[in-house]
Amino acid sequence: MFHQFSATAESLSKASSLVLRIGTDAHLYDDPDDVSIGPLLESRFDSEKVDALKRLLALLAQGSDVSQFFPQVVKNVASQSLELKKLVYLYLLHYAEKRQNEALLSINCFQKDLSDTNPLVRAWALRTMAGIRLHAVAPLVLRAITKCARDPSAYVRKCAAYALPKLYDLHHDEDNSSFEELVDILLNDHSPGVVGAAAAAFKSVCPSSLFLIAKSFRRLCEILPDVEEWGQIVLIEILLRYIIARHGIVKESIMFSLSTMSTTPVADGFPTFSGTSGSCQTLVGTTCDVNMITLMCKSYIDGQIECFAQTGCSNSSDDKLDLSLTSSTNDDVVMLLRCTSPLLWSHNSAVVLAAAGVHWIMAPRENIERIIKPLLFILRSCQASKYVILCNLLVFAKAVPPFFSQYYEDFFVCSYDTYQIRALKLEILSIIATESSIPIILQEFQDYVKDPDRRFVADTVAAIGLCAQRLPMVASACLEGLLAITFYESSLSSSSQIDGEAGVLVQAIMSIKAIIKQNPDSYDRVIVQLACNLDRIKIPAARALVIWIIGEYSVIGQIIPKVVPSILNYLAWSFTSEEPDTKLQILNTAAKVLLCAQGADSLAFRKILSYFIELAKYDINYDNGRMHHEPGGKILNGKMHSSISSTKSSRIYLPGSLSQIVLHAASGYEPLPKPCSLLNTDLTAGVVNETNDSDISSGSSIEESGSVYDSDHSSISSDDGNESVNDSNDTESTALAVRNDVQDVREKTLVDVSNVNVCVDDSNENTKGNLSAFISTDLAELMPKLALESWLDEEPGVSSIQTSQQASSGRISINNLNCTVTPKLHSLLDPTTNNGLRVEYAFSYEISTISSMLVLVEIFFENCSSEPIKNIALKDGESSSSVESSDQVLGESESLLRTANVPPVLSTEEIASLDPGQRVKKLIEIRFPHHLLPLKLVVTCNGKKFSTKLWPDIGYFLKPLSMNTSAFIDHERQLPGMFEYSKRCTFKDHIEKIAPVKDDSSIHSDKIILLSQILTSKVLSNCNVSLVCADIPVSFNIDDASGLCLRFSGELLSNSKPCLISILVEGKFSEPFVLTVKINCEETVFGLNLLNRVAAFLQ
Amino acid sequence: MLQCIFFLSDAGEVMLEKQMTGHHVDRSICSWFWDYVLSQGGDPSMILPVIASPTHYLFQVFRDGIVFLACTQVEMPPLMGIEFLCRVADVLTDYLGGLNEDVIKDNFVIVYELLDEMMDNGVPLTTEPNILREMLAPPNIVSKMLSVVTGKNSNVSTKLPDATASSIPWRKINTKHSSNEVYVNLVEEMDAIFNRDGILVKCEIYGEVQVNSHLPGLPDLTLSFSNPSILNDVRFHPCVRFRPWEADQILSFVPPDGEFRLMSYRVKKLKSTPIYVKPQLTSNAGHSRISVLVGIHNDPGKTIDSITVQFQLPLCVSSANFTPNHGTVNILADKTCRWSIGQVPKGKSPCLSGNLVLEADLEKLHVFPVFRVGFRIMGVASSGLQIHRLDVKNTPSEPYKGFRALTQSGEYEVRS
Repeated sequence: MFHQFSATAESLSKASSLVLRIGTDAHLYDDPDDVSIGPLLESRFDSEKVDALKRLLALLAQGSDVSQFFPQVVKNVASQSLELKKLVYLYLLHYAEKRQNEALLSINCFQKDLSDTNPLVRAWALRTMAGIRLHAVAPLVLRAITKCARDPSAYVRKCAAYALPKLYDLHHDEDNSSFEELVDILLNDHSPGVVGAAAAAFKSVCPSSLFLIAKSFRRLCEILPDVEEWGQIVLIEILLRYIIARHGIVKESIMFSLSTMSTTPVADGFPTFSGTSGSCQTLVGTTCDVNMITLMCKSYIDGQIECFAQTGCSNSSDDKLDLSLTSSTNDDVVMLLRCTSPLLWSHNSAVVLAAAGVHWIMAPRENIERIIKPLLFILRSCQASKYVILCNLLVFAKAVPPFFSQYYEDFFVCSYDTYQIRALKLEILSIIATESSIPIILQEFQDYVKDPDRRFVADTVAAIGLCAQRLPMVASACLEGLLAITFYESSLSSSSQIDGEAGVLVQAIMSIKAIIKQNPDSYDRVIVQLACNLDRIKIPAARALVIWIIGEYSVIGQIIPKVVPSILNYLAWSFTSEEPDTKLQILNTAAKVLLCAQGADSLAFRKILSYFIELAKYDINYDNGRMHHEPGGKILNGKMHSSISSTKSSRIYLPGSLSQIVLHAASGYEPLPKPCSLLNTDLTAGVVNETNDSDISSGSSIEESGSVYDSDHSSISSDDGNESVNDSNDTESTALAVRNDVQDVREKTLVDVSNVNVCVDDSNENTKGNLSAFISTDLAELMPKLALESWLDEEPGVSSIQTSQQASSGRISINNLNCTVTPKLHSLLDPTTNNGLRVEYAFSYEISTISSMLVLVEIFFENCSSEPIKNIALKDGESSSSVESSDQVLGESESLLRTANVPPVLSTEEIASLDPGQRVKKLIEIRFPHHLLPLKLVVTCNGKKFSTKLWPDIGYFLKPLSMNTSAFIDHERQLPGMFEYSKRCTFKDHIEKIAPVKDDSSIHSDKIILLSQILTSKVLSNCNVSLVCADIPVSFNIDDASGLCLRFSGELLSNSKPCLISILVEGKFSEPFVLTVKINCEETVFGLNLLNRVAAFLQ
Repeated sequence: MLQCIFFLSDAGEVMLEKQMTGHHVDRSICSWFWDYVLSQGGDPSMILPVIASPTHYLFQVFRDGIVFLACTQVEMPPLMGIEFLCRVADVLTDYLGGLNEDVIKDNFVIVYELLDEMMDNGVPLTTEPNILREMLAPPNIVSKMLSVVTGKNSNVSTKLPDATASSIPWRKINTKHSSNEVYVNLVEEMDAIFNRDGILVKCEIYGEVQVNSHLPGLPDLTLSFSNPSILNDVRFHPCVRFRPWEADQILSFVPPDGEFRLMSYRVKKLKSTPIYVKPQLTSNAGHSRISVLVGIHNDPGKTIDSITVQFQLPLCVSSANFTPNHGTVNILADKTCRWSIGQVPKGKSPCLSGNLVLEADLEKLHVFPVFRVGFRIMGVASSGLQIHRLDVKNTPSEPYKGFRALTQSGEYEVRS
């Protein structure tokens, strides 16, 4: 009966789904090309055309290329049927860029539609016209937008605002002022919808023209609650940037608390907040993690170093202090805070987070707490938002744990959470735990330990360890719990190896280790307990850890020294059957014990050690065999230090940003502007002046930032590589094989110590354990790991290079091409912006003799004015003058912020005077903060300062490394896989350059040598490398240059690692070549960035 | 700025692509994404919502078997992307009367048209459901039949909705209704966690005030609660005016037409739950027993129905059999057990008992499942929130007003 019913139900549902499909476009999606589409498009009936277009859309949805119908479709743009129009537009937008010429046919129709009486038609026409991306019609589009920006219909004006970024993206080389003008008009629109769209346009067209905001700031604030939600997100951000640039940081805010902190010596970074009242007076002082906040400010604000250097130095520089600071009573600040606070109730979580970000940065400390509840409430929306919010909350919680301490319940893990969410919650819990809440939190952790997801359990165990380290009062309870877990887990894993179980055990012992480390003397019993259970712990990584602990603390307390001999005896017995890592630790421990031993024992120990060393000599594993050569006791390697602070956690970006989630600066990410960088003169002038100009060029261009994206991306992956070394638990535990049962044979009592019976009763075990400091590393690694994987997965076109090299067999190798190298001159200072001093720079091919961190740059000063210019000097823009005055209180934070000791600019002496027309060359040595980031410089002349930016060229972070072809190939082989990256690009320069040669008696080899010369000089003009050889293929096809391969070699300035560049040419002379650029370099980040650079200048 | 949106089925098939900007995104990103999903275990609901791929940043939202995937290359608020995708899913569900692979494919044209209206150049354009409905008629039986009979059907409106110009973009200007009624529903979800000792660790209500309004003209409504102080957190529909709430905790608004979520709220630290679920697992020498007891705890005064208990057997359990004394038990392929009880019968408390067989070399269970409980109580708002009154101004005649309440389980779990 049951079956019958289900069968009926099934047929019913089938039938009903059939019914539902009637009248839909289902058949079109299933068989889009069952009829010939061409004739349908030519039909006289709109309905047939609609049908044809729907079929095209279906094909498009399924990924087929249907651009061949473009001419027929484009004709229909003139149709009066709105449905047809809509479909045509959908199609046009998809293909117009591909079929530029045909797309031009539609422009007249758009022009006509723009004057239609129906606003919907006007809006659609504008949207499509701006969206089809034809360079030829850009001026027409601009005119159309200008017209529509004054349209009576708000919807059309809104579409005009949306069209601005499209046009800007297509064509923005020209003067930006027409765009700014339009943005200004739209921002001042009275309809909130238009203002929201204008904000979006502002952000992508002229994000640094904050003076546009100045005149309408208050109106924008007032209108903010009425702007539609998506516009609010953008507008909030713009207003925040404006306030910072205009008024600076609020004195009472968290951001500024740094200076008050650093003047009062802070004993410990961790909060000792009582947690009950949550009142804010108690927050001042020691309750915040000062380092964290310092770091946060540093990350949020562009050029903050200078600002804090000024503000930090007591009252003497009051005038300066007022410059970059404002108080919370500032009208504009009050206004912004007041208008954003109701948005904390928005039903759009992105709006809530944006508004919360403003309060976090601007609001007085005692008012910040109001953002906590709305943020926590978002945790109850969809899983995806939950994750993003937690990532942001983690940063907030790290900075000021007391804000969250009473809300610990919200971070309890539930079974609906994904692993990543659980991990974030655990980390937050371990940060916000206070003495009053820790019992409840530990109780909760106890439950987690039995969760089926063992990876999560391992994280929990790590979190227990963190809590114990933070709150010493629970340390012993945690230890007990961790021991219980350890013994329970080790009893389990003896019977079977379950997935992830080993991880839990290893993590438990690591947490124990971390707790012991804090106060070894009081935990000697714990160590003994561990030692006594050594024979039950079967997982090699865990054994290794325990053995390390024994060695490290072998002289502590009364009991351990007594136990140590028997343990060593036991280890001597088991040595041969141990895994390599464990053997290492046994050697290590034996050596340590021997070093500390006194009297009679030492003889015995010496014997045991020499026994180990003898065994190790014959070890298959080379490392162990070699290890015995090393002097006793110093074998310990860095791997066992678990408490390496995570570098990931120190990456902080603005709240709510994408960069904060992926933990690297996404392209287009901009920190907050420099406080008070928006001067009154800017506001009145209403014209972009010099300083703003440079910002624009640095920030908003999409093409440029595209490459930055790539580089940032890769920087993560390499960091990750470093860190995985530290992450010993995972790698070790998984890499090690199941141990054999040799040990079980000698199941005998090793050590007889009273009262070390640990009861392994799981039901009433008191899990108050601690397992280690690892959680933060684990969490932070999640994302970057992906990035690394993605790079590895990317299948660089390696194979293509190799195969095509084999294709042409005969080849001539040339390693001396005469070519001219012309280093590029970049402008540093334009004569028109100051009183006639032109400063240009070019990267030098010489190598600095002072430090490998330095890059040599030739600076050319030229006086273009008619009068002599005096006292010209070039200085580092960040450290100029103010730093010297900073007092010692700031010394600490200062050193935190500085990365290396070498000053950024090793400058030359100043030029006393420069006559009109005179040109002087100076060589300076520069340490760039990063090979992609610019260095801020200040040029002073005639007593005036001009700040500018010097952009590094990654090609000059290399020095030539000469080698022959075979050495090159050898090196190439040593750098396979992840050290090899390649990219394809097209090359057109030869077409005009080689054309004249063709007219003469063009011999094939000449042409190809000419090509090699062009390519070589391009590379050598942009990179400081040397040409190894040019492989010229011998082929019968005169026009074909496929197979030409150029090889260059260089080494990194900083660490002298070789870096190899190969360029492989494919294609014919008459057409653009396809170049495959390949780079082999051990420094992944550098290599990838260099790859992008090479591809860029070749293109 | 979202560059492109893809819809993927739960098998990784790309159903639809919509390029949002001039910078087209190749669909090979989808195969990269799917490889990534497979490498993470193959369940799209368990992977990160924000992923950095080699070429793009991806935002993904998984709903009803469909992956909504958006790509960007530049910095933008990730919540904006996620929230937008959720909104797309909501609107589509609303339009198509549900969300699944077939319904998307069958209505791909309207999906395209909707996406085009909802986003322009990667920035959300019109997301207000009421306005969208005016611009693009949702497919309904009548239009379907028309298209079958006459062969033509246009769902594209020829007129720009007036509301796009008004200051209340969520409402049509001249709404005419034969009906004159407004319904207010309190829909509450109860989240609770019982720890392994059976103690209630956390219990809170996540509630929504759903309003279904069919009022003519431009009505002005005020809704007040008798006990607004119990509300811990609130979020509002854009139509709610902030000032009256700040001042008197009164909801004052001009409602959109039709159904919408006026407000969501949270009430924390509740002390009791309507039902209890007591799981017990014993395990010894390779033999494990499970028993689950369900019963009514604090009688809410209304019937509790649709009671279900769901849990996932640990991986180390190789087989299991269950005998319920009431209701039915289904065991799914991924070892998920679902015990459907329905209502608690009179005079008998439902009990599920069963034996678990562990993997050969295991002596006892060391991990314990979490029991998720589902239930529904009609007519009760468990938070105790009470609507005081609803005033409607600006309507020609006094409308009919209806109030309802419902409590159902949210993230309600019992650890064992």
